[in-house]
Amino acid sequence: MTPIERIVICGGGLAAHMTAAALARQLPPTMQITWVNGRDSRDADLFFGGVAPPSAYAFNLSAAVPEPRLMVDTDTTFSWGTQFVDWSANRRSWVQCFHLPLPIVGGVLFHHHLWRQGVSALEPFLLPAIAARQGVFAHPVAQGPRLLARSEYGYQFNPYSYKRPFEAAARALRVKVVTADVANIVCREGEISSLHLSDGQALEADLFVDCTGPDARLLSRLGVEVTPGRRLRAALSHRTVERIGAPCRTLTAREFGWQCDTPLQRSVARLTVYSPEQESEAFAAHGEPAQHSGEITLGRRSVAWTGNCVAIGHAAEILEPLTQAPMLMLQRGIERLLTLIPCSRDMSVECREFNRQSGEDYTHAEIFNRALFEMPLKANSPYWRAACEVPPHEKLAQKIAQFESRGVLVAFDLEPFHNEDWTILHHGLGRRPARYDRMADRIPEAETRAMLDRAPKDIAEFVKTMPAHHDYMQNLIRYLKQKKL
Amino acid sequence: MQIERICILGGGTAGWMTAAALSYKFKGLPVSIQLVESDEIGTVGVGEATLPHIRNFNSTLNISEPALMKATEATIKLGIEFCDWGRIGDRYIHPFGDFGPNVNGVPFYQFWLRLRELGDSTRLDEYSLGVMLAEMGRFTNPAADPARVESTFRYAYQFDATRYARFLRKYSEDNGVVRTEGKVVEARLTATTGFVESVKLDRGEWVDADLFVDCSGFRGLLIEQQLKTGYEDWSQWLPCNRAVAIPCETRGPLMPLTRSTARAAGWQWRIPLQHRVGNGYVYCSDFISDDAATEFLLANLEGPALASPNKLHFKTGRRRLFWNKNVVAIGLAAGFLEPLESTSIHLIQEGITELIQLFPDKDFAQSDADEYNRRMGLNFERVRDFLLLHYVATQRDDSPLWSHFRNLTLPESLREKIGAWTTRGFIVKYEFGVFLPPSWIAVMLGQNLRPRGYDPRADAAPKEILVQNAAAILKSVRAAAQNAPDHAAYIRQIGAASDTAPLVAMRSQAP
Repeated sequence: MTPIERIVICGGGLAAHMTAAALARQLPPTMQITWVNGRDSRDADLFFGGVAPPSAYAFNLSAAVPEPRLMVDTDTTFSWGTQFVDWSANRRSWVQCFHLPLPIVGGVLFHHHLWRQGVSALEPFLLPAIAARQGVFAHPVAQGPRLLARSEYGYQFNPYSYKRPFEAAARALRVKVVTADVANIVCREGEISSLHLSDGQALEADLFVDCTGPDARLLSRLGVEVTPGRRLRAALSHRTVERIGAPCRTLTAREFGWQCDTPLQRSVARLTVYSPEQESEAFAAHGEPAQHSGEITLGRRSVAWTGNCVAIGHAAEILEPLTQAPMLMLQRGIERLLTLIPCSRDMSVECREFNRQSGEDYTHAEIFNRALFEMPLKANSPYWRAACEVPPHEKLAQKIAQFESRGVLVAFDLEPFHNEDWTILHHGLGRRPARYDRMADRIPEAETRAMLDRAPKDIAEFVKTMPAHHDYMQNLIRYLKQKKL
Repeated sequence: MQIERICILGGGTAGWMTAAALSYKFKGLPVSIQLVESDEIGTVGVGEATLPHIRNFNSTLNISEPALMKATEATIKLGIEFCDWGRIGDRYIHPFGDFGPNVNGVPFYQFWLRLRELGDSTRLDEYSLGVMLAEMGRFTNPAADPARVESTFRYAYQFDATRYARFLRKYSEDNGVVRTEGKVVEARLTATTGFVESVKLDRGEWVDADLFVDCSGFRGLLIEQQLKTGYEDWSQWLPCNRAVAIPCETRGPLMPLTRSTARAAGWQWRIPLQHRVGNGYVYCSDFISDDAATEFLLANLEGPALASPNKLHFKTGRRRLFWNKNVVAIGLAAGFLEPLESTSIHLIQEGITELIQLFPDKDFAQSDADEYNRRMGLNFERVRDFLLLHYVATQRDDSPLWSHFRNLTLPESLREKIGAWTTRGFIVKYEFGVFLPPSWIAVMLGQNLRPRGYDPRADAAPKEILVQNAAAILKSVRAAAQNAPDHAAYIRQIGAASDTAPLVAMRSQAP
């Protein structure tokens, strides 16, 4: 068996940065990693959105980027989730927060107790949601206050600065960085044999990792097609602020699409996502000159891996940055690659398994985003019509039907979004099950009532004791800088 | 409209487990539960070995472990010892537990594969406390703290399933379940919907219910005989269709293990209880006659037989629908997979758990049944693939049965799984299904499927560090195993020893 010895990563964006650091940190020193950090790919990093899931902490650590590094070297802030405003024609507003599994009371999922009592709002029972609305933050620790311990947090980030510590980590960890563009890709028998760069050199490798963004320059050269979906444009700008805002994005539905404000350390990032046909309205609403803008087509490549070339990030799939889905998929793509780094030049087994997993993952993430549109049209505009026209996957139909019928959560193998994400989403969208779990009736009504009265009060009281996100971050960064972390 | 009356048909393991769980769950709610069984119909008493999940079932019902063990002649089960499966003369243990800890997200066995290439000959088993305890015949309660090596294994029981049913019968009756003696002779279906309205017993009495749970065994009194649900035959993959069972006297120390020995036309089980040993030969009637099978089993018992042979016929497969109209089939009425991995009671437990989660009301929403059938279908299929693995991961071809498996076309999902393993020791994972990666690893390695490569991440650390870490794990596993008490002593220590003396064969019963 010939082991693989040379890996080449192509791309200059967030996906390439994260891939290079993670591979360098985890692969054996016998594998040479070369990173062609080119500037030639179309910039689409703004479509990664501005929120990273709670799993980012562990992911980053395994790529040699610990949280203190991220906080000191970038303008990343903490995130409890995303506040949706005016969503759909029903003008729903809720905080789609991160959370560990919701409590099971008397053997019954928490939400059944709510419906038994005719309580429709889940949010008062979710500490991160309340903390997000109040703009406060503190790290949840397992041994810390009980109420906080069930919370989870992610990050709010600017993709153009978030990537920097990954580059530093990759360089420190032996990655050979070539600053050049790919000029020509030489293929033979369904594989890439070499890359010719703008600086004249040619690179050969056993495995090529395509992080070149939506164009997927390597993968598409091998004939892999994209499944066409909706076209979207986006504009991103940063407005400098004195105080750090809430640990929560605010995403407002508009006729042309949506607009999202993300508080970072020194600025508020504004991302406007819209249908290309409604650009003038979107620009007017954006209200600031765009620092980054772009257009993409949502969807995925028919396969993410073919021959000796595997695509990571937008080169493999593009999801709308409505939720943390884009960052979640990027992290999971890199993690999947790490578990399937070929152990020989015959990588057909790895390729098949990677494609199987990546196909399932995409479907499962896509239906979470798609669920946001299983609602009455916000407006009869190109954006909303196109979003609602995409036929929902059968799995989504099952999830919604079961929830509406009896509050049961249908789950499939190893989904990227968890039951609690779905529970919060269903409630946020105002879905009501026709029945609750009858076992909830075993708890005396007065007891349930008392529990439901007390919990939101306890949460509200606790949130009052938490520091403002701004103050917490300032102190944390001062402390980290003193410790020279 | 909520369900007020539940009728359970059949009082075997499935029937009484269902009655116990439903009576506990519905305590205090206006639901009556009636169980119809006949003393004249024998129960099969599916598999006497269980999976660790049964402990959740029992503890949810607040059943005391020593009381249960004492009442059912139970012993501890740390896993299954498989003999002669890969090749004649081979043996390995499939434990309930891990093979070493994960290191930076990489499972330990990947490092072990690298150590093998470096010339180390330590068995992977030696990194598994579950296997070590089982081999030494020792046991201690697993630790809760995940940092301790004592937390890395789980356990189940080997017990007398008939006594377990009896134990649960008392539990159920104490919780208000009404047991009715009788045989079902007739059923009345609603003309418009085809729902079962009531069943008539041999003494003329009619029993009405909103929901019927069919635990009537292979024949599926309601699910099949009345509703004609249909059966999906899996004999093409799992051709064994007969079993003969005989208990015998115990010889040797009490081991915390079930044993399965591959034979020319099937396989033989050995299940040690406190007072006797259960034995059986599962075989395919195409390859051996019933008499020859019985004779073979009798000739391969460790002690004198304690009863005459009990013969069973079955067809592996599953009911096309587990839940059809207002009938839910649980146990053998739902399907049958040979007891090679002790899944029969587990599938009963899953059937009950899902029924409670998706409990219908009188409208019987089709979506409830659909979701139940989806979940149970997945459970059955994944168990099937795991069972099939035992038959195909083999080098044996010494009899027509084993040749049959050599020429078999595998289900796609299993073929991919085996391919990913043999290429690089990769386990294709799922979330819903009973057997986790360590189980697959145990069987594949135990039956000589050696990966050609391993996860390159196992090469990330220098060899010296790897060797050092492996030695430390080995040491902690050995120490923990040495510290554990003997299995029989443990049973006495927790007050779970039964009052029955070891059974001795009477002269007239001896073969």
